[in-house]
Amino acid sequence: MPCEMQQRRWEHRYCTMWKSLVAAVALVAAIGSAHAASAVNKDAETRTLVVTEGGSKTDLALAGGETVEFCPNGCFVTLPNGDLEALTGSETVEISGGVARIK
Amino acid sequence: MPLPLVSRQQIMLFRLLRFILILALIVSAPPSFDAMAQALGQGAAGLITDQQKVIQGLTAKTDDLEKKIQQDGEDDASLVDIRLQLEDLSRAALTSALAFRSRLTDINNRIEMLGAPPAAGQPQEPDIVTGERQALASEKAEINAVVASAQNLSIRISGLIDKIGNMRSELFRNLLTKRYVLSDALSPQVFSDARDEFGNFYKAVSSWLSFAFKFKFQAILAATFVALGLALVLLVGGRRLFGRVFEADPTNEDPSYLSRLSVAFWSTLLPTLAVGAFLGSTIFFFNYYNVLRGDIGLFLNALATVIGVVFCVNRLTNAALSPRLPNWRLIPVETGPARWLVRLATAMAVVISVNTFLSIINDKMGSPLSLTIARSFGATIIVGVILILMAMLRPFKARDGSWRPWPAWLRYTSLALGVFTIVAALLGYIGLALFVSLQVVVTGTALITAYIGFLSARAIGEEGAFANTSVGRWLSANSSYEDTALDQLGLVVSVAINLMIVLVFLPLILLMWGFQPGDIQAWAYKLATGINIGSVTISVTGILSGIVVFVIGYFLTRWFQGWLDGSVMARGKVDTGVRNSIRLAVGYAGVALAALVGISAAGIDLSSLALVAGALSLGIGFGLQNVVSNFVSGLILLAERPFKVGDWIVAGDVSGTVKKISVRATEIETFQRQSVILPNSNLINNAVGNWTHRNKLGRVDIKVGVAYGSDVKQVHAILLEIARSHPLVLKNPEPFVLFSNFGTAALEFEIRVFLADVMNGNIAQNDIRFAVLEKFSGEHIEIPSTPRAVVDAHKPKAWPTDDDKIEADFAEQEQAKVEAAAEAKRAVKTGRKVRKPDPD
Repeated sequence: MPCEMQQRRWEHRYCTMWKSLVAAVALVAAIGSAHAASAVNKDAETRTLVVTEGGSKTDLALAGGETVEFCPNGCFVTLPNGDLEALTGSETVEISGGVARIK
Repeated sequence: MPLPLVSRQQIMLFRLLRFILILALIVSAPPSFDAMAQALGQGAAGLITDQQKVIQGLTAKTDDLEKKIQQDGEDDASLVDIRLQLEDLSRAALTSALAFRSRLTDINNRIEMLGAPPAAGQPQEPDIVTGERQALASEKAEINAVVASAQNLSIRISGLIDKIGNMRSELFRNLLTKRYVLSDALSPQVFSDARDEFGNFYKAVSSWLSFAFKFKFQAILAATFVALGLALVLLVGGRRLFGRVFEADPTNEDPSYLSRLSVAFWSTLLPTLAVGAFLGSTIFFFNYYNVLRGDIGLFLNALATVIGVVFCVNRLTNAALSPRLPNWRLIPVETGPARWLVRLATAMAVVISVNTFLSIINDKMGSPLSLTIARSFGATIIVGVILILMAMLRPFKARDGSWRPWPAWLRYTSLALGVFTIVAALLGYIGLALFVSLQVVVTGTALITAYIGFLSARAIGEEGAFANTSVGRWLSANSSYEDTALDQLGLVVSVAINLMIVLVFLPLILLMWGFQPGDIQAWAYKLATGINIGSVTISVTGILSGIVVFVIGYFLTRWFQGWLDGSVMARGKVDTGVRNSIRLAVGYAGVALAALVGISAAGIDLSSLALVAGALSLGIGFGLQNVVSNFVSGLILLAERPFKVGDWIVAGDVSGTVKKISVRATEIETFQRQSVILPNSNLINNAVGNWTHRNKLGRVDIKVGVAYGSDVKQVHAILLEIARSHPLVLKNPEPFVLFSNFGTAALEFEIRVFLADVMNGNIAQNDIRFAVLEKFSGEHIEIPSTPRAVVDAHKPKAWPTDDDKIEADFAEQEQAKVEAAAEAKRAVKTGRKVRKPDPD
């Protein structure tokens, strides 16, 4: 139903507001989508990833059930089983049963 | 010292280009990485050696670059270049390590499939399994070794990039703090040097010109004409398209700020674009036809930049200050000072641009250092003097006609900058002086543009301003937006413009000041992904996405509500009360859901929220007892529906129509049009009378007293007859006349009639009372009254006849009649129903 056919005044106002806000929301949604790699620990105990990013190594401790965003521009990660992997910054590292998988 | 200016300029351009490049890379990178990894993952056997070779190659390149860093340690531009190459190498190392991913996954899967090696005491497994496991383990070890070497390489490259950053800041510090001996540079020797250099330059240019005219004359002609044509098309087309907003209308006494602004904007942009297109295409076609030779291309480029910049600054100042048309001025200075400001600003642009141009020539001609110093010295002194002159200018006029200077902060800043530049140059800190004067011009231009942008945002945000813009006019013509909606839209636009100015100009100014795009990017990223404060992470994107999700949820709810109410329930002939209840309940549920989803999307953990809620609930229970009880009452009202919107209810002293049932309170409009906000708990805990609960049926009682001695049978019959004959009175339940009392002064009767709509009570009562009185006087039945006060009514004596007054009164009455008729007509025209009287 077009806005001008709305009978009550407040409906009309909501209708026009709705229209203009949809555009704004679409815009913000398009801008707001930033990317980074994320790591999910599905285990109960804490797991540690060693992340080499920008010339320094840091330990990334993931508590049970925690999800962490890291490594926006590519990095190297040492997984719990000792494997060394490269990430571009768009992957998801999923740890379950002490084994990490990259998706 | 031939370097700084040239390199700075180039670096700025370079930085911008690289910024764009990096952006493009970021956008395009992930898929290409993946694709590459997949493609490389196919050949497993040769993979390790291949990648080893790749990484060795990268390491060799890094070694070369490291050596180059030592060699070119003095050259800022080449350091930037090396940094770019190193970043590429780092990405390449990452990509080569990525190639192992699928193989590594395969190996891990296979090892998992093979299972753990048997423990001691368990039966031996077949040799083939043991062999495979060992082979896989060794391959994995090799792969890990290669990836580790890639990782080490990337760490090393990061170190080198950091080192370059340090070297560059050291270089910059040196540039600013290096002191030159002016007495050497400013000796008469300089003049002969300059003459020599000019001779060289003249020779180079004239030899090129003669070459060009001899061999490439046609090409030059063609290129120039094509470029001219392009510029003309741009200019004429632009004038055609934007002609109305392009030119200031001298006859317009008071143009709005927005139209002044758009004139300033377009009259700067279009000619500058046209000139830029002309210069750019000239150089492009010269290149295309191979007219340029040797350093001439560089000189021509520089010349084009100089012309473009000077032109742009001149247009901009002319547009902003418009010395000829005072009405169209963006900044309200007087005409004389405006003219001077335009001249000074143009002069400053000319000095800076010519200095840049000469520095390029110096650079290419390999001229002596003293010449460069002398040139820079001259330029900085001139810029300093211009700055001081600008500060001394008195651009405003007070009411008494005296000239007033700039605001103090602006005047003193400009004065200080000018003095600082001159003093620095005089002391021999030419690099510093040049840097400051360049920054003053560039940053100043950016700041002024940003300021004008802010002003325009403010102008758009003003009430009713947006509706007057072309976009606003178009919107109001082509859509259903009302003025208020347009106004709100204008506000949104103005906020957006402000935000955009900050987003565009802040990085731009930071770039000008020598920050790296990478730094800015990293800050922006950090700001976007989250700043840790203690254990709480605040992230702009998180909060923004939370808000966005909430807004989407909110509007989805509204839409669903509207659809359910307007399409489903209205069609299903659902009772309005039920409709209202369902709509409200759906609305609250939807908003609550949207809020929850929004909070979780914002990255705030709901479980921690629950913890807080648990801790606070006791306090909230006590503190917000009333609110909570009202809230719950509101929910009960919605579910139980003792009354609905539009009902006539009586709650305690309040009697009126229900206007709105919301979650805390219910709005009731009394018949005197007073809105009473009644807390819901009152309506739940106390008795509420509802005249229109199931139906609108209602009884109206009318008391009538007749004198003793009247024929009561006749009275009863008359009253019953009147009640029955009234059209609004229901036949069933029947009207009833009660002989209610032998009163002190009268025999009291009561007419009790039922009405289909109790809201019509007053109409019925009126009609019946009139009818009773009429009938009684016809039948000579007395209604006794007890006179309390006898009023001796004196009729005032008539005024002596006054023709004028009578005439005036008559005219007034006529006027009132006409107005009443018009009012009635209007009421009929708008279809407004004549309201029936309120029941109470």
